Amino acid sequence: MSGKEAYLIVDIGESTRAVLVRRLNGTYRLAGIGEAETTIEAPELDVTIGIRRAAEKLDGETLIGKDGPEGLCLLCASGDGGGLYMMVAGVIGMISGESAQRAALGAGAHLIGTFSVDDPRPDYRLVEIMRATRPDIFLLAGGTDGGAIQQVKKMAEVIKEADVKPRFGDNYRLPVIFAGNVEAREDIAVTLTEEYAMRAVGNVRPSIERENLGPAKEAIYDSYMEHVISHSPGYESLAKWVTRPILPTQAAIGKILFDYAERRRVNLLAVNAGGSTTDIYSVYRGVFNRSLDADVGLEYGALNILKKTGIDGISRWLPKHMDERTLRNIIGNLMVRRPSNYLDEEGMVFSALARESIKLGVEEHKRLASRLKGVQIQRTIADTFIQSVESTYLDLGDTQVLIGMGSAFTDPGESAALLLDSVEPIYITELYVDRSGLVPHAGMLLGEAPEAAFNLFTGETLQRLGTCLCVDGNGGGDAVSLMLTRQDGSAILETVKSGEIKTLPLLDGENCKIEATAGKGFSLGKDKGKRINATVMGGSLGFIVDARGRPLRVPDDKATLAKWSKALAPKAAGE
Amino acid sequence: MTDPAVERNVVICKVRRLPAPGEVLVRLGEMVKVDTPIARGRVRNTELVEVRVDQKLGVDAMDVAHYMLKREGDEVKKDEVIALRRSFFGSSTKILRAPLDGTIEAFSRTSGKLLIRGLPIQIEVNAHIPGRVTELFPLEGAIVECKGAIARGAVGVGGEARGPLEVLANGPGDVLTEDSITKSHIGKVVLGGATVTPEAQIKARSVGVAALVVGGVDEKDLSGLLGHELNLGDTGMERIGFTLVSLSGFGTQPLDEDAFRLFKEYEGRLACVDGTTQIRTRMLRPEVILPD
Repeated sequence: MSGKEAYLIVDIGESTRAVLVRRLNGTYRLAGIGEAETTIEAPELDVTIGIRRAAEKLDGETLIGKDGPEGLCLLCASGDGGGLYMMVAGVIGMISGESAQRAALGAGAHLIGTFSVDDPRPDYRLVEIMRATRPDIFLLAGGTDGGAIQQVKKMAEVIKEADVKPRFGDNYRLPVIFAGNVEAREDIAVTLTEEYAMRAVGNVRPSIERENLGPAKEAIYDSYMEHVISHSPGYESLAKWVTRPILPTQAAIGKILFDYAERRRVNLLAVNAGGSTTDIYSVYRGVFNRSLDADVGLEYGALNILKKTGIDGISRWLPKHMDERTLRNIIGNLMVRRPSNYLDEEGMVFSALARESIKLGVEEHKRLASRLKGVQIQRTIADTFIQSVESTYLDLGDTQVLIGMGSAFTDPGESAALLLDSVEPIYITELYVDRSGLVPHAGMLLGEAPEAAFNLFTGETLQRLGTCLCVDGNGGGDAVSLMLTRQDGSAILETVKSGEIKTLPLLDGENCKIEATAGKGFSLGKDKGKRINATVMGGSLGFIVDARGRPLRVPDDKATLAKWSKALAPKAAGE
Repeated sequence: MTDPAVERNVVICKVRRLPAPGEVLVRLGEMVKVDTPIARGRVRNTELVEVRVDQKLGVDAMDVAHYMLKREGDEVKKDEVIALRRSFFGSSTKILRAPLDGTIEAFSRTSGKLLIRGLPIQIEVNAHIPGRVTELFPLEGAIVECKGAIARGAVGVGGEARGPLEVLANGPGDVLTEDSITKSHIGKVVLGGATVTPEAQIKARSVGVAALVVGGVDEKDLSGLLGHELNLGDTGMERIGFTLVSLSGFGTQPLDEDAFRLFKEYEGRLACVDGTTQIRTRMLRPEVILPD
């Protein structure tokens, strides 16, 4: 094998997953998947050991020799111990502060602190919080180019006083990236250079109407490689082995999702319900956004979901009644014990928590994935900082693709139910799930072999559950009547009652035409549109009609929940 | 993690470190007791009080400097006069007194505001376990080492506590109730069984039990005891009157047989407990150290 003929693509997360992609007859094909425990912690304290072990499970021949990969290109992303933890600061929280957040999240960071000059907390409190939290990188933004300098300088002085230490030891200076007013660079450098490894890049908000995240993201990647990765156990050797810089896993995921949405020219929403965080990615009209709810996860953040939603928010999704104490204890044990296999009741609670964590994540995403705040067109100055006048990019009525990722997405029926219950898409949306957990691998391959990456993404990991038609609004009686015309000319006529879910038999990948009419109180398009004509594609569940209405009302009776679940269960042959 | 990890005949090292530079009070190789001070220092007080001098004296903010009796960096005692304004030949005097003991941290000549920070807080870290000092951290502390056994739990609340171990459970599945706890348990580390009732937790606090170690605890009872949800599972700073360690998590969790045997073997001897838990960040779990 020679370089470019084969790629070993490794994602270092809770486990280390290695994927071998080989070129055969001019086409890249998946040659194997190997998995081993991540070895970032004692006793191994060297991630390359885990990579070797994962690679050994892949192929008969040696892929990684004594001095690194042999005859192939190694691509790597890291999301667990080697993940990227950032703090950001700006002048105005909802202007430069949010732009800085978008840059950090877009670069794949876990955001562990946001600060701004207009923060209601006193400076000394900000200093204390900064000191108590050890990030990998600090991103400072603020001020438009040529604008005021004093405020961003004040924030720099707070950061200086905090003397923030990096996450991995005290033997190097924390990288601080300044992406604010270009005219403040000199002052900021004077303030911060002694305590921090400071560098300045293009302003994330050069003017109030424009956001420029590219230079800050690139600087984050550079600092990640230069400072963070080199101080993580074993990464120094790994950095010499890789063909391209090591990426944060979330950055690799973002890259492939953006590429996929652009290629298909669709609006896309992807949710990743993980153990410690809930990540939401979106691409709407070519604009990529990522948000992260760091306090909401299915294991570490389980009790925090309970705190945010209350016990009723969780119990309403359970297929059978469970007393409060039992439910609370199960949630607590998911957090403290992190079981590798779930008992029946634990599985039910995990599934209920997943619905609420995604709901919370999507709400957070709506806030962050918004048009630039502070931009004034034809309003009075008083409106400038009113959040309500700004609209989010996220538009569930114009979302063509919805993807579920993470351990909560198991079998196709449960995955579809989870997406429909938590995101509540409306009108026509294709539902997918990350079946093999190879989304980050496809993202890593993208820069080297775009077609192979696209094929890996669509062919090996993305499973099409089916297209769903979801009615908006709430009414009674018949919610929707529809006719599906299949390619062989046969037609399926169906009427779905309010509150029901139905799946219609459509083969995976089969296109068919659909004509649908909404019942009283429901709509199927913008401006209360009653009729819809479209071409839709079947998936492993066929074609899904969700006539439960929006916003979704979860019934008290568990029998209805069971019916919903049964409706989405894959049908056995002949059913 | 599922079951409590129990280790016997092991060397246990405890890092005893101040959060800020101070003075190390022990020597390398020194034998220490549980309450031997290892290091002592002072940390910045987070209490910062803002005083509007202009309003108190009834003068324009720009003129306040003329009336100040203290400067930035000066120490002040509570009720000490820090600014004084006399008018009408002393017939109308306005006095500003320090609201707390502390230091004048900042004074603005333009806004008339004064910031007084409370006096630095004395901090001290003791050995927590009996043993030998095996490593020193200049200005910060030391490592203390002992031989013994250790049981690691799933979740705890409250910080470090020590005392003689008393096993109140007859078997791993027993429930610790309030009747079992008496005044004789003051300052003791008490081992319950599979769980502990909320009444027993309240009794433990009122009696003055140093620590409760149990197989499990109801999440609702624990939240009730804390007055809030556990949120992200970062604990150790709670002040609930005793330290609670749950070895296997929430609910009724019969004690691990091996753990139960270990505690029985060490009954009557010193137990050093720490309820500190950090699940998300550093995976710190609560522990019970049983020195030989």
